[in-house]
Amino acid sequence: MAVSRLPPAALSLKQFLQRQKVLGVYRDLLRSIRKIPIESDRRYLRDWAREEFKRNKSETDQDVIRMMITQAHNHLEDLRRSLALAGC
Amino acid sequence: MEDSVSRMRSGSLVHCGSGLRNMAARIIARCVRSLNHRAVCFNSINTAATLTAAPLTHGRTFSQLTNGHKSPLAQISGSSFQVFQWRQYGDLPPLTLETIHDRVLYVLKLYDKITPEKLQATSHFMKDLGLDSLDQVEIIMAMEDEFGFEIPDADAEKLMTPQEIVQYIADKKDVYE
Repeated sequence: MAVSRLPPAALSLKQFLQRQKVLGVYRDLLRSIRKIPIESDRRYLRDWAREEFKRNKSETDQDVIRMMITQAHNHLEDLRRSLALAGC
Repeated sequence: MEDSVSRMRSGSLVHCGSGLRNMAARIIARCVRSLNHRAVCFNSINTAATLTAAPLTHGRTFSQLTNGHKSPLAQISGSSFQVFQWRQYGDLPPLTLETIHDRVLYVLKLYDKITPEKLQATSHFMKDLGLDSLDQVEIIMAMEDEFGFEIPDADAEKLMTPQEIVQYIADKKDVYE
């Protein structure tokens, strides 16, 4: 009988990788938001990003999480394109 | 309110003349110092003659500009003897472990999710301070902003206490003690 040495709260490999993806997209989003020139917009977008990620923090379904990661990537691309157009 | 603003403007114009004089004196001082520096490099024998000759000639040519303002020139000739190391680079002051530690704790105290009383150098973000991984990402972002260099993702996710952050920054910035 195989006794599992992992603690009960350990994530599976797929879950662990997904968690890393989520944190990565959050970090990229924050890095892009940093480039915004206007302080009030920057603060607003930072609070918006924080809210969005915190709200869906307790989601456990992998497909839903994957969908949300894709959405975050789309937002990130929009932001990057807008910043490039604005010349920052 | 308008006449106080106009009074301020006229007062600043009066001080502008002396400001220009001071600026010219500072430029002279800088030329003299660079000249002395080069003179010290080339001449092995540091005679008082070379040192006094340089400021006086510069002083005489620029005296018309300074309208015979004596005191800055006297300061220049006095200070030229002392300035032998002249840092030509523009850079931030060097970091020490203590300043890094203070700055890290300062940034953490400004973060709204941390209560400053509970914060210590060894308090773990997740276990002691009850933050989650998103907060930890934000904290590391704030550290990047504070110290002005990027922390890669692989390193960032491992930093879980203020002490670790201080250690990491000291490693990256070559701060030894």
